[in-house]
Amino acid sequence: MTGQYSINAEDLHAGYGTQDIVKSISCSFAPGTFIGIIGPNGSGKTTLLKAFSRVIPASGILELDGKAVSDFTPAELGMALGFVPQDEGRPFSYTVLQVVLMARYARTSRFAALTPDDYARCHRALDETGVAHLADRSIRTLSGGEWQRVLIARALAQDTNVLLLDEPTSHLDLAHQSDILTLLRDLAASGATIIGVFHDLNLAALYCDRLIMIKNGQMVADGTPDTVLTPEKIREVYSAEVVTSCHPATGRTFLMPVKAINGNVLPLKSLNVQVISGGGSGSGLLHFLTGRGLSVSAGILATTDTDYITAKVLELACIPVLPFSRIPVYALEKLKAMLAQADRVVLSVHPIGAGNLPVLLALCDMDPARIIIHLPEGREFASYDFTKGTAAAACQGLCAAGAPCTSTYDGILRLLSPNFNGDENHETRNTN
Amino acid sequence: MTRTIPIIIVLTFAAILTIVLCTLTGPAGFGFPSSGPGAADIVGSIRLPRVLAAFFVGASLAVAGAAMQALFRNPMADPYILGTSSGGALGASVAIIFLGGLFVPVFAWAGAVIAIVIVWSIAGRKGVISVETLLLTGIAVSFFFSAIVSFLIAIAGENVHQIIFWLMGGFWNASASDAILSACILVPAGLLLFFMGRDLNALSLGEETAAHLGIDAARARWSVLGASTLLVAGAVSIAGSIGFVGLVTPHIVRMLLGPDNRVVIPACILAGGILLVVSDTITRTFFSDLPVGIITAFIGAPFFIWLIHKRGETL
Repeated sequence: MTGQYSINAEDLHAGYGTQDIVKSISCSFAPGTFIGIIGPNGSGKTTLLKAFSRVIPASGILELDGKAVSDFTPAELGMALGFVPQDEGRPFSYTVLQVVLMARYARTSRFAALTPDDYARCHRALDETGVAHLADRSIRTLSGGEWQRVLIARALAQDTNVLLLDEPTSHLDLAHQSDILTLLRDLAASGATIIGVFHDLNLAALYCDRLIMIKNGQMVADGTPDTVLTPEKIREVYSAEVVTSCHPATGRTFLMPVKAINGNVLPLKSLNVQVISGGGSGSGLLHFLTGRGLSVSAGILATTDTDYITAKVLELACIPVLPFSRIPVYALEKLKAMLAQADRVVLSVHPIGAGNLPVLLALCDMDPARIIIHLPEGREFASYDFTKGTAAAACQGLCAAGAPCTSTYDGILRLLSPNFNGDENHETRNTN
Repeated sequence: MTRTIPIIIVLTFAAILTIVLCTLTGPAGFGFPSSGPGAADIVGSIRLPRVLAAFFVGASLAVAGAAMQALFRNPMADPYILGTSSGGALGASVAIIFLGGLFVPVFAWAGAVIAIVIVWSIAGRKGVISVETLLLTGIAVSFFFSAIVSFLIAIAGENVHQIIFWLMGGFWNASASDAILSACILVPAGLLLFFMGRDLNALSLGEETAAHLGIDAARARWSVLGASTLLVAGAVSIAGSIGFVGLVTPHIVRMLLGPDNRVVIPACILAGGILLVVSDTITRTFFSDLPVGIITAFIGAPFFIWLIHKRGETL
C-alpha cells in the first residue's frame, strides 16, 4: 500500500535531546505533489523537514518510496532526497560551481572524477535558478538571495525524486520568488515530490497543491489551500485575524490580515458609533474604532469604495449603493434610522458633491452635540467641497452649532469618552 | 582547476629540491663535505634523517590543520585545537621530570592521544555531538592540561630549560627512526584524508549539509578526527609543539589553489613539508639551532600578512 507514496510517515516523533519538537505526525505524500508545511514560528516545521531527511533522530515509521529510511545508505539517501536549508555558513571561498558540483558526490565514486555529464547537470541547475552567471564567483561574495538560489540549484542537481526546502524563498525578491516557486511547481508536475516550509501563506496558497498546518509539533490541518487556510484555522493556529478572498488573477485562496486578536479594548464597548465616510476616508478610522471594541457601523457606501470593502471585511453594518448614482431614497431613510440609533456619529470629512450631499444635510438635522467631525490636519472644509459652497457651509454650520472637531483618531476617542485620557503610546502606534 | 595540476607538479619538484638542498646545507657548510672521516656520517645519519623528519612532521601538521579547519568550518582552527599539543606537553614534561628524559617521545605521543580521547568522551556523552561542543571541550581540556604543565614547570627545578625547549619544538634529536615513524603515520593518514577530500568539502559546509549530499557525516567526522589525531600526536612526539605550520600552510594553499580539499590536502602535504624543512635548515645553519617554532613564526607570519594584503579576503 505504501509503495505509492514518496514519503510515508506514521506516528513520527522528532526533536533535539530529550524533548520532542515534532509529536506524533502521520502523513503520506504522493509523487507529483507540491506540499507546503505551514505554522507559526517555533511550531516544528523545520524539525519535521529534517526528520524527513534523517538528520534529526526520529522515532516512528518513516518510509521513502516504500522503503524504511533507516535501510538507506547515506549515498542512497543523497540520490533519493534533496534538501535546501534556510541558510548555510560560508566559511570558505568555494566557487558557486564547486558547491553545486557537490550535489554529484553521491553518484560518483570517491576514487573517480566527476564526469562531463555531472558538470552539464550542474550547469543546467544553475541556469534553472538563474545563477549561471555566478558560476565562477566565490560564494562568500554572494547576496543572501543569490546564495539561496545556489543552494536550490545544488539540490536540483542531486536529481532526486523528493525535494525538501526550508523557506526556499525567504531571501528572494518578488520576481525570483515566483521564478523559483514556478520551477518547483513544474518539477512537481513532472512527478517529483516537493515539500516546502513556508511563512508566506499567500505564496503557499498560490503554488502548493496541499498544505499541512502544524502547531506545537502537531498536525492541525491537512488539505488543499482553500480548506486549510480558513479564517477559523488561522485564528486558532496563528492567533491572527484574516479574511480570505479569491486571488483576482489566479482564483486561488488569498489571505488578508485584519488585526491581531489581542488588540487593546477600551472601556467604551457599549458605545454605538456611526461613521459617515466615503472615498476611502473612513478605512483607517473604521479599523481603529472597531479595534477598540466599539460597536461601529458604516454609512451609505458605494460598492466600489475602499470604505465599503473595509466595512465588509470588518463585518460592519452599512448601506451599500451603486457607484456613480444618486443616493436612493430608501438608503437615505435607512441611514436616518441608523443615525437615530447611534450614540455618537463621527463625520470623517470626505469629498462631497451633489450625489452625497443629502447625507451631510441629514446630519444637519441632528443634535450637533452627538456629532464628532474628523478633519485631517491642515485641511479645510472647502477643499472637500464640490457643491460650490453648500457642503462647506453645512460643515461650518455644524461646527458653529457645537459639533466638536478633531484632526486625530486619539481626539475622536477623547470626545467619545470624556473620562478617557488617551494612552499616548498606543495611540500613536495605532494611528501611525 | 586549470592551474591545479601545474602547481602540484611544481610543489612536488620544489619538495624534492628542498630536501636535497637542505640535506646538503648545514653549519659545516654547503655541499658534500669533500673529505674528513665524519663527512658521510654528517649527511647520512644526521642531516638526512633530520630533514626527512622535518618534512614529514611539517606535512603532518599542515594536512591535519587543513582537515581540522574543514571539519570545524573555521579557518582559524589549528591542529592542536583539540588538546593534542597540551596533552603532548604534559606527557613530555612528566617524562622529563620523573624519568629523567627517558621515553619523552612515547610519553608525548600518549599524552596527545589521551587528551583527544578525553575530549571525545566528554563531548560525546550525550549521544549526538556537534563540532562546536567538540571545539569548546578541546579548548577547555587544553587549558586544563596547560595548567598542569605550568605547575610542573614551576616545580621542575633544573629541568625547566629542557621542558621549555621541548615546548618550543625542534628537531635536535631527530633520528632515522623518527623519520620512519612519522612517514609510517603520514602515508596512510595522508592517503585517507586525500581520498576524503570531497567529504571534507561537504563537511566544511556543515554536517547536515554533508548528510544531505549523501555523505556518512558521522563516519567522515570520526575518520577525519582519527587520522588528524594520529598525525598530530606523531608530530608532537617527534618535534614538540611547533606552531604556525598547521594553521597557516592550509591558508597559503587555499589562497593559491582555492578551497577544494581534494587539492588542498595533497598541496598541504608538500607545502607543509617544504616550510618546515626550510625553517629547520635556517635555524640549524644560521641560528645555532634555536627552536624551529621561532623561525616558522618569524618568517611565516610576515609572509602570511603579505599574502592577506595581496589577496584580500579569500580564505
